[in-house]
Parts: sequence; structure tokens; C-alpha cells
Amino acid sequence: MKKTLTLTDILITIVIAFIFSVIYKLWGPLYSFVGILGLHVDQLIYGMWFMAATVAFLIIRKPGIALLAELAAAQGEFLFGGQWGISLLLYGLIQGLGCELIFAMYRYKSYRLYVTCLAAIGAAIGSLLLDVFYGYIDSLALWNLTLLIVARLVGSILITGVFAYYLVEALDKTGVTKAIRPVSNDDYQRLEDEMR
Amino acid sequence: MLEVKNLRAKYPNETSLLFKDVSLSIQQGEKVLLVGPSGSGKSTLLQILAGLIPDVIEVPIKADKRKISESYGMVFQDPDAQFCMPYVDEEIAFVLENRNISQQNMAFLISQYLDRVGLQLADEHVSIQQLSGGMKQRLAIASVLALEPEVLFLDEPTAMLDQIGTKQVWDTLKEVSEDKTVVIVEHKIDHVLPLVDRVIILDEIGAIVADGEPNDIFSRFRSKLYQYGIWYPNIWDDYAQQLPNYAQYDNMHQPIITMDSFHGYYQKQIKMHVNDAVIHRGDWLAITGENGSGKSTLMLAIMQLIKTSGEINYFLSDNSNTCDYRKMGYVFQNPELQFITNSVYAELEHSLKNSDVHPEKFADRLEAHLKRYNLYHVKDHHPYQLSIGQKKRLSVATATIADVDILLLDEPTFGQDAKNTFQMLELFEECRKNNITIVMVTHQPEIVELYATKEWRIKDGELMEILDLSRVQENISKDDMYVY
Amino acid sequence: MSISVSYQPTWLHQINPSFKLLTLTALFIGLLFVHNPNFLLYMITGIAVLYLFGTGHRWKVIGLLAIPLTIIFLSSSTTMIFFGEGEQTWFKFGLIHITEESFYRGIHLGLRSMVFGLLSLLFALTTRPVYLFYSTMQQLKLKPKYAYSFMAAIRMLPIIVEEFQTLRQALKVRGVQYSKGVKGMYEKVKLYAIPLLAQSIRRAHRIAVAMEAKQFSKNNKRTFYYHLGYTNKDLLFFFILVVWLIISYVCSNQFTVFPVEYVR
Repeated sequence: MKKTLTLTDILITIVIAFIFSVIYKLWGPLYSFVGILGLHVDQLIYGMWFMAATVAFLIIRKPGIALLAELAAAQGEFLFGGQWGISLLLYGLIQGLGCELIFAMYRYKSYRLYVTCLAAIGAAIGSLLLDVFYGYIDSLALWNLTLLIVARLVGSILITGVFAYYLVEALDKTGVTKAIRPVSNDDYQRLEDEMR
Repeated sequence: MLEVKNLRAKYPNETSLLFKDVSLSIQQGEKVLLVGPSGSGKSTLLQILAGLIPDVIEVPIKADKRKISESYGMVFQDPDAQFCMPYVDEEIAFVLENRNISQQNMAFLISQYLDRVGLQLADEHVSIQQLSGGMKQRLAIASVLALEPEVLFLDEPTAMLDQIGTKQVWDTLKEVSEDKTVVIVEHKIDHVLPLVDRVIILDEIGAIVADGEPNDIFSRFRSKLYQYGIWYPNIWDDYAQQLPNYAQYDNMHQPIITMDSFHGYYQKQIKMHVNDAVIHRGDWLAITGENGSGKSTLMLAIMQLIKTSGEINYFLSDNSNTCDYRKMGYVFQNPELQFITNSVYAELEHSLKNSDVHPEKFADRLEAHLKRYNLYHVKDHHPYQLSIGQKKRLSVATATIADVDILLLDEPTFGQDAKNTFQMLELFEECRKNNITIVMVTHQPEIVELYATKEWRIKDGELMEILDLSRVQENISKDDMYVY
Repeated sequence: MSISVSYQPTWLHQINPSFKLLTLTALFIGLLFVHNPNFLLYMITGIAVLYLFGTGHRWKVIGLLAIPLTIIFLSSSTTMIFFGEGEQTWFKFGLIHITEESFYRGIHLGLRSMVFGLLSLLFALTTRPVYLFYSTMQQLKLKPKYAYSFMAAIRMLPIIVEEFQTLRQALKVRGVQYSKGVKGMYEKVKLYAIPLLAQSIRRAHRIAVAMEAKQFSKNNKRTFYYHLGYTNKDLLFFFILVVWLIISYVCSNQFTVFPVEYVR
């Protein structure tokens, strides 16, 4: 199993991220408008912003994929309108690292639901850290800050974790992912067995 | 020059072996055509001979001997899945960059390669997206020539092109391949035959059943080719011969859709215009015209899936006089986009749930429909896991299971092998016997000739001609053909 | 990075893309440590002039892309204005508690988002993606496999959008209905994501194979069709930014518009 990322891995990851950029467009306008209310309802769908990372990792299952997916998602948003732009690159970097850290803790070998949820939390914490600098969230009233953190964590676990996990499970059923996952030693063994 | 000995391959998660000790060798300068039914592994064999498997695509293979060429180029099937750059010049430059050619020579070489495939562009910095399918494939050939290959692999390079594009591409290939070894996989072989001196037939599991000189192969294995669905020359004649005589149909005077000054819009611009036309119950209407003439736009407009203006009336069995999707089936070109569930069975069930068919009848109807469309044995499969032919049949089945009055099909047989095409046509004809009006976009004159009762010719976004091809009675004279 | 809009190239287009990206990223990080709204206000005026007159795009494009900036201003500022901490109460009603401190902090956040928004648009409207990636390979030594993957993926975007539209029509024809609430949201994401992902993963795989078949990874060295170096336009751009930073700094101390200088 080749550990380094091949051209195929990279291209597929970027395309996955771009597709989520297209799908974000379903939420984008909604996101901005409910954001004005300030009650953090929007935070519940914040997880959509880093869904690409978990989905791409669960499909390709290699180190570096989650980070690359997040950076590409930022790039995708950029291509589709651009207003959030450069700030997204930094968010993508931090969120991607958050995911990557969790997957690395499991040596990139666990693709279970709870690990995906942990990765979602990793990304959410990353984004909250940057929010302290970018959005002064530590200067919000305590109840409001708590609401923000809870809403973002819940939204992330639900969307980046649970949604993403079941989405990939559904995608696996289509058979498309078969062709791009690394071939296991078992598969070679099976060919050998046929030889006898 | 190219050789495999006792080749075996096994895709992960597949139960059976592909190729069982296949041996093959191809000499320098030979021009070989590989044919076989869908799933026979022709493309896989091509990728193994090129070395793409296992170097780029990881598939477990085993061979006693495998000799490949370092210098090869491959043209693939899908014009939209072989370019990585947005502009024509940049795409060829990509190859030159890979070969480490100095930048000063690039502009000259780009023009030269484009010339060789007959792509004369006023400006070479033109967006690939603007080219027609045939031009895209010629660009693909040009970029492969830029590799200066000794061996050319062609993996159904014209499967997704219309007849004009197909001819252009093969003419080009004939010219550029003279001094090269060529290995071709193709199931539309009319234009390929003058080019090759050897034909190899593979069977369903990738075993070689015939290998020889083209004329010899075609005289001895014609029925095999028919059985495998290969588009050999004059296959339509063979097909027409065994068709039953046409049944007599009721007089088709009752309109189902009428249009008057009807327009279809795309991005706020009028893209299609029908002055005055009627679709009658029981018609098999073929909509023909060049690529980009507005055929698909007309279909989308009839289905009210794009913005329209002018008058259109629907006379459907629910008497609603509106565009009711429960009474109108639509089959898109890419069937996968219409699938929404995880199994063939659930896919059909969804259609029934949306209709006014009584739930008690579901089970019987599902079983009958699955059998009629030859999908019963795969009813629990995921729709994406079906073969191309099965996917197409399923998309038609979902559109027809719930008592529709009319079925609209956007190039349903496009890119299909002959076997699937004939099977589909017979299903449509059966639908028509069950009082479902058929409207289909097609590029295939033989389909119009054999099945259609009317033909609408579209040109530059306008319905120009309506031809009555009705075979109701033999004694219809040429005078009855009316032309607008 | 508009894909197919026509424009007149300006000197901003000629700046080295990597240099432009790095400069703007540095500016972004630097501005995170600025807590004076007056400074941001003066920054915005300067960048707005560049945005309005420097991109070479038509007024319609410039205007349309600027509209979302107001929404971004509002959504970035309102939370802090209504619910931020502060001592000098201006207004209190239920949970809403507007204080002088929170108000100006909110305004500051809104302005900051607008600065970043304008800078991003400026970058996007004056940079061709292909040049950006060629430049990152040449100046920043990005590995070609990443750069070309990005370019190939960008080429696929119009196809994805087209498929998205066809999918919407197909789902309409099949009479798909969604449940309410979270479940409905998941259903909707799934119905769109699965077909789009399946089509595009397959296509991306094929493109990658086609690229490898053209000897992409065979040589370690490669030449470039486009050479992107540095020009004096880069210096000019840098100079203008620095001068404007200084002017903004001086003005924000001399001519204050907002009565606060530190919102943190």
C-alpha cells in the first residue's frame, strides 16, 4: 500500500471538496441571513464547512487527505464567489489540521463513526480558536459564547461526523469507491489462490 | 513488441477471475482491433498492455511474461475525462512539459500537432469547453501525438460522438497512425475496419475466441458479433430482417400535446421555438437534428423543466391539462442522475408510491415489470452497480411503471452496444402498444426508419420540418408527407 | 477567480500571483492584531478604490459581487453588537444588551470582514487560476501533482455545475419529497451528494489516469509553458500597500471617526 498521495488521490480529494462547495451553495445564502440574528442557529450547520475533510478521508483513507480537502474547500468557495476568501484559507488550514490530528492519533487506520465524530470536534475546536482572533468570541456574553460553542460542537458532530460517515457508507454501496481505495494484500492473495 | 503470457487478473471484491491464462502478442506496426461484449475486459486488457495497470490503476494481475512499450499514447472514451487544462494550447503544452521540452519550442510544436489532426483554429488559446465532441477527441489525439509514441492505444475513442464526429476522428486516426503500432477497442466498427489488419474477439470472461484477418473473421463470426452486440457494418439490415411485421395501429388522431408559438429559454435567451405542432396519442415521434440544435431544450421545455413561453396544452388521462409528472415519464441521458434509492426494487417502488396506483397492486406490478425489463435477477442490487444496459432499462422502467401517457427519452440508445439498443427499441415499441406515446431524441437514422411514425427536424433552435412516417397502411403515398 | 467573464487586464493582473497571495495573507494575519476601527475604515477606502477602478472588470460584475459584502458586514457585526460584553449600556431588552464597547467591537468586526472580503475579491478578479498554480510551482516550489490536480479540478467545475442542474430536474421529475427538520436536511444532502460524488470521483479518476498516460510522473524535471517571474509591478503593489498602511495609521490617530481606539 502506497502511503504517499498519488495524483489520483489528490485530484479526487480536490474534486470532492469542490462538490461540497457546490452543495454549500444550497446553504450559503441561508447561512448569511440567519447569521444576522446572532442567536447561533447558523452554527448548527457550520459543520457543512468541514464535511469535505471527513468525507474525503473516509473515502481515500490516507494521511494528509483531510487537510488537503479543507484547503481545497476554501479554494472552492473562493472560486464560487470569493467574498470570504483569504480568511477561509486560514480557517481551512486550522480545521484541516484539527481533523488530521485525530485521524493521526488512530494512525489513519480507524474509519469508525466515533473517530469521525472526534475528527469533527477537532475541526470545530480549530475553528473556535481562530474565532477568538478573528471574531473576538471571548468578548461575547458568557451565555452567548456557551451557546455558540455548544451549537457549533453539536452541529459539527452531527454533520461533519454522523452525516459524513453515513454519506460515505451510502457511497460505498454505489461501488464507486472500490476502484480508488488502496488494494489490500488479501486481494493479491485471492489472485494467488486462484492460481492453484 | 507487446506481449502477455498466461495473463490473469482479479478486481478487488469481484468473485470471478477476469482473463484465464490469456496469451497475446502484437508485432511492431500491426494494427489490431479488439472486440467483445460489455464486461469482457477489453479496456482492462488495453490498460494492461499499456502498463497503466498495475502502475497507475492498482489491480492484482499475474502473468508469466509481460512485455510493454515505454513509448505509448492512449486516447480514451470520454471527451470530458481526459483533459486537465482549460485551453487547447495549454493541454498540449502539458504533454510537452512532461517531456521536458524547452519553452521556446512549444508554440511551434503545438501548432504542428494541431495541424496533424486537422484542428485549424484561428486562435489556439481557445477554451476546450467550446469545442464539439469530435473536436475534443481530435485534440486528445493531438496531445497523444505530442508524446511521439510508438504504440497507439485507442479505447473506444468515438463511443460518445455522433456520426459526423466519428467519421472525422477515424479519418484523422488513419492518417496519423500509419507508422505506428495500433491497438483499438471499439464496438462501432464501420470506420475502423479499413484501418486494421487483425481482429481479436474476446468472450464474456475475456478469453480469446477468434484471432485473424478482418475479412475472414467477419465472414466466419458474424453471428457471434451479432450476439455480442458489436456494431458491424450492415447490422441494421440483419436486425430488420428478423423484426416482426408491424402491427396495425389505431388511427392516431387524438392529440396528447399541442404547441403554439412555444419557446424554451436557457439563461434568459430563447433557445428553441416551435411554431405550431401536435403530438398525437400512439405516436413514436423522433426528434432529430445536429448537435446543439435545441433538441434536448425542446424536451426540457415540454417537461416544463426550463422557462417557457407561448402556448402548450397537455391532454393527459388525469384530465388536469397540466404538465403532470405522474403521467409523463422522462428519461435523461445519464440514468444515474435519476436514481434515488439503494436498490432496483426500491427504485421502482418509489415510482409507484408517487402515482395513483393502488398499494395493493404494488407487489404484482413490481414483479411483472422487473421481469419485463429483464431486471428481476438484479432486483436487490444497487442501481449504480448495474451494467450500462441494465441502468438504461431501469431508468425507463421507473418512468413507465406507473401508468404514464407519454414517455420522453433523451438519446436513450446513445453510446450503447447493438444488443442493448435493439432490446431498448423493442421495449419502447411494447410501451407504444400499451398506449404510451413515445417521444425520443435520436441521431440514428435507422431508428427513425424502422420505428418512428413522425420525425421532427430541428435546426438552429427551430422546428423546421415535420415528416409523417406512419406505417399504418401500406397505401399511404408520398403525397401524404407534409412539410412545413 | 471568475471562470468566464471578460475583462480588460490591468497592472493588478500582472503582479506575480504567488507574491500577491503571500502579501495578502500577511496582511490578513497582520490585521488580526489591529484593534482600532478607525484604522480599518481608512484601509477600506483605499482598498475600495483599487477594487472599483483597478480590476478591469465591468461595473455590473463589480457591483454584483459587492452586494454580499453588506450581508457579510451585518452577519459579522450583529452578534457582537447585541450580545457582546461591555460596561456602558446603551440599550437593554431581554437578552439583547447593546453597550458602547460591544457596539464598536461589532462595527470593528464588520469592517474587518469587509476588508478581507474586498481583498479576496480583488485577488480573485485579477488572478487567473492557471497562472496562480504555475506561479506556486515556480516561486513556492509546490509539487506539480498538487498544482495540476487543482487545475484539472477547476476544469471539471462547469461539468459539476451542469450535473447539479440536471440532477435538480431529475429529482423534480421523480417527484422527490423531503422530510422536515434534520432528517430532511440529511436526505437532501444525500440525494445531491451521492450522484455528484459518484460521477465526479469516477471522472477525476479517469482524468488522473489520462494524465499519467501522458507521462506526468515519469520525469522528475519538467519545463513550463508559462514563466512567471517578478516585475516592477510587484514592487509598485507592495509600495502602494505600505504607503496606504502608513496613511491609514496616521489618519486613524489624527482624524478619528469612531470615538474608540481599542475595541479588544
